[in-house]
Amino acid sequence: MFEDRGNTIELRGFLHLNTYIRKKFGTMPVIFDLDGEITGKDLAKRLNVPLNEIEVIFVNGFVQGLDFVIKPGDRVALLPPGCPGPYRIALGFYGKNQNNPANFKIKERKLKNLY
Amino acid sequence: MNKFIRVNMTTKKAKFEDVPNKYKMLGGRGLTSNIINDEVKPTCHPLGKNNKIVLAPGLLSGTSAPNSGRLSVGAKSPLTGGIKESNTGGTFSQQMARLGIKAIIIEGMPKDDKFYVIRIDKDDVIIEEAPEEALNGCGNYEAVKILNKKYGDKAGMALIGPAGEYRLPSANIAFKDPESNLRAAGRGGLGAVLGSKRVKAIVIDDTDAGRVPIADPDKFREASRVFSKALLEHPVSGESLAEYGTDVLVNIINEAGGFPSYNFTKGRIEHADNISGETLSATIKERKGEGMVSHACHRGCVIRCSQWYADEEGKYITSGFEYETIWGLGADAGIEDLDAIASIDRAMDDVGVDSIEVAVAIATAMDGGLIPWGDGKAALEIVKQMAKPTPMARIIAGGCAIVGKLCGLFRVPVVKDQAIPAYDPRPIKGIGLTYATTPMGADHTAGYCVSGNILKVGADIDPLKKEGQIEYSRAMQIGTAAVDSTGMCLFVYFGIADNPDGYQAMINMINAQYGLSLTAEDIDKLGEDVLKVEREFNRKAGFSNAHDRLPEFMEYEPLPPHNVVWDFTPEEIDEVFNF
Repeated sequence: MFEDRGNTIELRGFLHLNTYIRKKFGTMPVIFDLDGEITGKDLAKRLNVPLNEIEVIFVNGFVQGLDFVIKPGDRVALLPPGCPGPYRIALGFYGKNQNNPANFKIKERKLKNLY
Repeated sequence: MNKFIRVNMTTKKAKFEDVPNKYKMLGGRGLTSNIINDEVKPTCHPLGKNNKIVLAPGLLSGTSAPNSGRLSVGAKSPLTGGIKESNTGGTFSQQMARLGIKAIIIEGMPKDDKFYVIRIDKDDVIIEEAPEEALNGCGNYEAVKILNKKYGDKAGMALIGPAGEYRLPSANIAFKDPESNLRAAGRGGLGAVLGSKRVKAIVIDDTDAGRVPIADPDKFREASRVFSKALLEHPVSGESLAEYGTDVLVNIINEAGGFPSYNFTKGRIEHADNISGETLSATIKERKGEGMVSHACHRGCVIRCSQWYADEEGKYITSGFEYETIWGLGADAGIEDLDAIASIDRAMDDVGVDSIEVAVAIATAMDGGLIPWGDGKAALEIVKQMAKPTPMARIIAGGCAIVGKLCGLFRVPVVKDQAIPAYDPRPIKGIGLTYATTPMGADHTAGYCVSGNILKVGADIDPLKKEGQIEYSRAMQIGTAAVDSTGMCLFVYFGIADNPDGYQAMINMINAQYGLSLTAEDIDKLGEDVLKVEREFNRKAGFSNAHDRLPEFMEYEPLPPHNVVWDFTPEEIDEVFNF
């Protein structure tokens, strides 16, 4: 937790989710209201982002899976598949993305048009 | 590829040579590093007559294999004092390969002070005086036009800018891309080595060259198809690099808190959005004109990570606008405006300097009080001065280590006197081990690839913890040394990391081309051998394990936001090369 943001999180989206969030909210980052704690999966649902469009999330600078529980005050970023390979290892994606629909099983991945 | 060209700049004579058996199955970095280790006196002065510079395409260069047009350039580095392989795109590698030239070795140095052009075609090598108007402060963009007029647009070209002519330690070697823009073998000051030999340019004309022979064309085609598919189906190589370029990493590394900023005192900046790949791409699209989001630096590249960045009027400023350059100027030096960064990038390409070394040197000079923080105009002016270098321009082009010394700083981010690039080792520890131990000096591209099952290496890595990092760095360096020998762009790894079929297809292409039956283990062995040869050269040049260390300040200056220090012991670091 970086600072007291009340019942909100500071939300960012990267790659095409950058465009998506900008279009949806008109700004980046977004101060997003929460009712309380929320998993990455439920946050994605609230944002209408398909789960296979998120490889990992960042919470306060740490890479996490979609089951991770986000708390009010957190800084959160949604990262679609597309981070260059060596850094996906170095930043620990493989330890976190295994239960996410958008993991390294890329052959099964079908791109959906979000917009 | 069945011949070497050996150019003696003392006698100004060149000859074709048969390739010795021991080099026949080497290419790219494997070949340049072996020739340097075999032929160059390790204790020689890098700018003296006993150094040599070697250019070599990879094993697959010149074929139809996707992304196989990379060239390795090797020498003893005037920046690090150790062995160097610097890698570039452009058309040169494929043209060399089509002419059957496995390596160009340039040795000796003239007694006069003229500059020369080495011109190579199917039958001959001619050494002639360089056109006067391309010298003495003429930038690379203009020099290419002058040389194109004389030698033809289609000729491949390697050239040094004014920084190389003045033998500045950060001088690069520029290579023409398909549109006569500039790529570079950037790191390690190899432009100064070419300058010391008074070679302004090497021009290669592959008119009437035959095709690169393939032992089993059907097998090659099939392997090439599988390989290409692996690249194009992956969301990184097939989509994100073409859309955002390597600058896609700004937001990611910044968010991870490993984005070294303000001379490595912070790991995250507030203005990342100004300089991110997402902004870069959106800006290019919005401005239209000559800008393009995606561009290939050599024929056959399917990843297309390069782009043309245009100004507000839509006029081309620069291409190959890389994450590390944008990071160096935008975060490490705190220049918040992407247009200002693009103009400095162009100026660096034009004078012919490494855009990582100089960007980090600028940031270090800002920390040392020589330049105001974030002052893009001042930085641009100094880079432009490198064309006819003022004392200040010489200092900055001297590289980060020199600037740090002259400013009396202890916070000098170098390993083996080469600037640390855009990933801070404190919160991304595996990359730190690679910076510390690679024979190249701090180099992020030294640890890019592993063979086999990625999960065996990387499944449980936590970037902030030590566990698994030694194995990670070792495997990545071995894999990279091997791929660097194939002529493949390292970015193919983005696509094949998650797809073992893709890695095997790369090996199958080599097998089909040369009639071999190499396995992944053989390729790993090649990588290990290359690293051992490079390390042996460095040892003979005076390097020891004590040089395999990160700058000490990283052990006691915690990097926010994670507030971590570098905590690997010397014994642990030395384990990386225990194979």
